[in-house]
Amino acid sequence: MLVLSRQRDETIMIGDDIEVTVVDIRGDKVRLGINAPKEISVHRKEVYDAIRRENKAAAQVKPEDLSGLGKIGSKNPENQPKQP
Amino acid sequence: MEIETSRFGVLSVDDERIMNFPKGLLGFPGQTKFALIKTGQNNYFFWLQSIDDPHLAFVVTDPSTFFKDYDVALRDETVADLELVNPAAMQVFVICNKVGDWLTGNLLGPIVVNTASRLAQQVVLTEKKWTTRQPLLRLQADVPLAKSA
Repeated sequence: MLVLSRQRDETIMIGDDIEVTVVDIRGDKVRLGINAPKEISVHRKEVYDAIRRENKAAAQVKPEDLSGLGKIGSKNPENQPKQP
Repeated sequence: MEIETSRFGVLSVDDERIMNFPKGLLGFPGQTKFALIKTGQNNYFFWLQSIDDPHLAFVVTDPSTFFKDYDVALRDETVADLELVNPAAMQVFVICNKVGDWLTGNLLGPIVVNTASRLAQQVVLTEKKWTTRQPLLRLQADVPLAKSA
């Protein structure tokens, strides 16, 4: 991994059109500003990891796990689609 | 076409029920073809069965059934990837999981399908409003219900 030292307000270029700027440093928290073309998606890695993890967990669901569904719209009030 | 599945045996699936995920799913990058299969339980839940891996299948549902205010804003790039010319052809599913006695939906990483081209992609929402384990339904206990009930 390439490791660079930067101070506040200094920027790193990735390729020709992605800029990562250190906006603020406070304690162990760094705020980064990212300028990138709109076709580049920028997300916190935890979000990707969470979705990847959830996909793996959901792949373990078996048909019998749905047997408790019963009939939606049945008399059991707990089994109705949840209203937001 | 006929597909082999570990959960349902050999299934005959109409080509129109097969969706292409050129980017795969997060955690399953090599899986690019899935068939949408009815669960037989009801009309709300489907199985998304991998064509290439008999063991890989997910329960999916339409999140708008449960959350009227759920909205997936697509980036222009995703619209282009899905060749989504007609916005009305867009359909959204979320992958379901069983967590304790709840059925949950991954509303943070929905699956967007272009029903016209049958191209699909799992997208990552930027909104913090939704989680990967949004409770959908409480599952009843595994014990069979009394027939007289």
